[in-house]
Amino acid sequence: MTFINFIIIFNRQGKIRLTRWYQYMTDKQKSSLSQDVVTQILARKRGMCNILELEGRRETRGKAIYKRYASLFFCFGIDWNDNELSGLEVLHKYVECLDQYFGNVCELDIIYNYSAAYQVMDEMLLGGHAQETNKKVVVKHCKGFDKLEESDSIVHNLRASNIA
Amino acid sequence: MAMRGLTVFIADIRNCRVRELEEKRINKEMANIRTKFKDGNLSGYDKKKYVCKLLYMYILGWDIDFGHMEAVNLISSPKYSEKQIGYLGITLLMHENSDLVRLVVNSIRKDLDDNNEIHNCLALHAIANIGGREMAESLASDVHRLLVSPNSKSFVKKKAALTMLRLFRKHPDVIPAPDWAERITNIIDDYDLGVCLSVTSLITALAQQYPEAFMLAIPKAIMRLHKVIVERDFSADYVYYKIPIPWLQVKLLRLLQYFPPTEDPNMSEMLHNVLQTIINNSQETPRNVQHNNAQNAILFEAINLAIHLDCESDIVRQATNILARFILSKETNVRYLGLETMAHLAAVTDELDEIKKHEETIILSLRDKDISVRRRGLDLLYSMCDVSNAKTIVSELIRYLHIADYALREEMVLKIAIMTEKYATEHSWYVDVILQLISSAGDHVGEEVWYRVVQIVTNHENLQEYSAKMVLHYMRSPHCHENMLKVGGYILGEYGHLIANLPGASPIEQFNTLHARFGLCSLATRALLLSTYIKFINLFPEIKGAILAVFNQYRHVLDAELQQRACEYMAIATMPTDDLLQTVCEEMPQFPERESALLSRLNEKTGQTEDKRTWNIGGKDSNEKTPANLLAATKERNENGSVDDLVNSVSNTSISAAGGENGAAAPANGSAAPPTPAAPATKAGLTWKDQLAPGYENWYNRLRDGADGILYEDSILQIGIKSEYHGHLGRLAIYFGNKTHTQLNSFAVSVEAPEGLVVANSHTLATSIGPSTQIQQLYSLECQQIVTEVPLIRISYQAGSTQSIYLKLPVLMSRFIEPIQLASADFFGRWKQIGGAPREVQEIIKVPGKIELERARSILVNHRLGICENVDPKPGNFVATGVFNTSLSGKVGCLLRLEPNHETNMYRLTIRTTSDVVSKHLKEILHTALLYKPAPSTR
Repeated sequence: MTFINFIIIFNRQGKIRLTRWYQYMTDKQKSSLSQDVVTQILARKRGMCNILELEGRRETRGKAIYKRYASLFFCFGIDWNDNELSGLEVLHKYVECLDQYFGNVCELDIIYNYSAAYQVMDEMLLGGHAQETNKKVVVKHCKGFDKLEESDSIVHNLRASNIA
Repeated sequence: MAMRGLTVFIADIRNCRVRELEEKRINKEMANIRTKFKDGNLSGYDKKKYVCKLLYMYILGWDIDFGHMEAVNLISSPKYSEKQIGYLGITLLMHENSDLVRLVVNSIRKDLDDNNEIHNCLALHAIANIGGREMAESLASDVHRLLVSPNSKSFVKKKAALTMLRLFRKHPDVIPAPDWAERITNIIDDYDLGVCLSVTSLITALAQQYPEAFMLAIPKAIMRLHKVIVERDFSADYVYYKIPIPWLQVKLLRLLQYFPPTEDPNMSEMLHNVLQTIINNSQETPRNVQHNNAQNAILFEAINLAIHLDCESDIVRQATNILARFILSKETNVRYLGLETMAHLAAVTDELDEIKKHEETIILSLRDKDISVRRRGLDLLYSMCDVSNAKTIVSELIRYLHIADYALREEMVLKIAIMTEKYATEHSWYVDVILQLISSAGDHVGEEVWYRVVQIVTNHENLQEYSAKMVLHYMRSPHCHENMLKVGGYILGEYGHLIANLPGASPIEQFNTLHARFGLCSLATRALLLSTYIKFINLFPEIKGAILAVFNQYRHVLDAELQQRACEYMAIATMPTDDLLQTVCEEMPQFPERESALLSRLNEKTGQTEDKRTWNIGGKDSNEKTPANLLAATKERNENGSVDDLVNSVSNTSISAAGGENGAAAPANGSAAPPTPAAPATKAGLTWKDQLAPGYENWYNRLRDGADGILYEDSILQIGIKSEYHGHLGRLAIYFGNKTHTQLNSFAVSVEAPEGLVVANSHTLATSIGPSTQIQQLYSLECQQIVTEVPLIRISYQAGSTQSIYLKLPVLMSRFIEPIQLASADFFGRWKQIGGAPREVQEIIKVPGKIELERARSILVNHRLGICENVDPKPGNFVATGVFNTSLSGKVGCLLRLEPNHETNMYRLTIRTTSDVVSKHLKEILHTALLYKPAPSTR
């Protein structure tokens, strides 16, 4: 049923750009798991499959599915007997949505506008499950949020100028 | 998120080329923010800015231990941008066990109740991402309200469904799922595919826990699949690389795997069409990788479903051919999944021949460059192994073991040990393989592997001599692993005498072989070997001297366990008579047969995830105990708990045999407590009977005597029935009329029949009724046993919210009576034959108003009894007879006399039948009928 346990986005140098944990883990577990996943994925060669089986303790036993887009790796942790391809395509859809939202997304967009990247993520995925796969709907909602935000900042600027 | 301060900060951090610089910058910023927060009096904008900076540091992996309160404050800000950052902050920084959860629950509730959907959404996001018990308990019903309310917008519904799913996964006890089952299931029909997708995820989780309550999801899922795949009815926005919403397809196909195959022939035909269409579509060459992945995701899920439904079906045969092509594919993902799915098939089917054809390819996959693929190859080989190919597979695996990844080896050893044991046809082969395994895999051999060898050798007399010979051989090789010494020690201690006459295996040579390595092993192994030595003294008195020397030496060793053993053994060995020694060292009795500890260990290793698996890695028999469907899921729990049990019993035996205090080598009591069946899932809330529609009796009573007519009517729906009966069979037509001018949606009907009565519908009912239209459902009835209850029917539809109507169907026991006529002599003959109580029941019935003979007569006739004229000497008395038919419990003859008393307006009813149950129930039916006075028609 494609349950996503965690999302890690990192670059080729292993620098983590975005994480989301849908299952409770201590900070220590989180950092050791993400280190582990990042190292293992970076060590894999081209042409290997997009599925990495995560050995280990019972609670973390699962699979990591990942894909590289330009300098960034997108990785989802999924349950052991989930449908891997379906998960991979959710991942691709997320990238498509980011792309549409930012207009040709690059690593810098995700760095400087991480809150927007989270927003797109939360519109597509919730609690580890796909909620909306219609790109138009996702991007429409996110742009709608931006408008709300803009109106806030206009008010803020007006006030600031009044005070000045 | 445009904030200059933040952008500058991010740029600063990016400019830090070394980690030390970054740390310095971070610390500086943290100190700055801490002071700002301490001073208080920050504007919303500033608070937002600083929380954003903290979040960025958090993403980079720095520990953030303050700022939570500021995020909490932002949540209740009237400004969207601040609220949003506040929510993002708490979802990233808080976890479910956080103390601060209590503080946000109220703000979240306020946002859930808000009329602003955007606020609803932010609140739902927070619950879905944090979701502790506190939130579950206080907010679950608000979430449910947003999910089922007809006023909720699609994008709120989607989020509510997934939020509830999150709460359920964490705290299933908080969600009264069975009570909500119906309204939730109906949402599968929602026109918005996003809503359907989300709610399917929710149902998949709920149905695993409450399969019965969610049975209705089966036809709904099938119809939705049919609509999308076969009828190609979907919104174009949801097409993903030419494939309509692949994720929904996958989810629905997966959902169906958690239920037993549907018994409704129409449904299963529909499903068959769906699966066949998917298989046909897969022949199309995909355009690009996305198209290919999406297509295969569906295909693999469809194959898994097809295997679940019937692993010998034609669809599965077609699928096997596709899989055979896949495992040769150039694309690694496809190879990986091909092997995985083939392992699923191999795990459940009897028909391994098709798969065996590809043995070579599969063995080659063990040498794939990708470890993920190698693992799947290993699992598949394990699952497809049987007597015919065990030797090839096992020898390949042993060969591969030496070069296999370390991570794989322990699992491989377990699997090889299991296959060898399961498929051995020659004893020598088993011993050879297992000893080779122990000697070559060394550290990767778990304890349970050699425990199991000991068990098997002990239980098979013809293995004992050969294994003694072989262990001795292996222990002489220069690289003898300690595990080998353990097996060797145990086996020689028990069966060393069987080979004592062979050259090179004399008692002293056996002893020397063991003792040569004594000093190098762990304490546990040394303790075990000491036990072997005391057994040697019993078997070979001639080497007693050498052994006593060892005991003597170890009487002073530091380790308490070794010392105790040495002392006790010494004492036993030096007693004046050998009686005690002989009793203590008696040959080990056979072990009771039980499940292999290896299997349990393997299951433990491949552990269960939260998701209830529909199958296990392994051959067919390893799947027989696992739930083929969830209704049988409780069985699964019986399998647990044998590992420790077995291990204990093995180790206990060896110790008590050695310890000697007990005086006898009594095996540990091996009888495991019988597994206690898990309590059946509690049934959903109210039973149907408690919820019958108010006033149903008016219509029902009018139809009790078998008439056709209206069963129920309100302002929306009119329900009528028509029926006919013959022997133990009957047919019932029910008409549902929509009286309104709008369409009734999510229309569903189900029947709960009492035990002994089979009610089957002829076709699948439409899920909607057009305005002012009538639809009809035909049921066939079969009375298999004596039934005293009537079936119940439940009709539900969507009108704003879901409406449910529960009604009784007037299918009384008397419907299955065939009237007969008897002559006077016959009647009284049988009457006497049946005799008095309990098969006779009698009742005096006082009727309201005057006795009407014609009415009494028609009641008897309507209840399908034949009135025998001129049998009773007194005219006016009724004598009636009939035969009650059942298909499985035979026929029951029914005789009755009804004597009216005109003065008192009373009847005396006497019934004699060949079954006391029938007598009693028939009396009740007639009693009610005689008392019933139809209310004057209101129309």
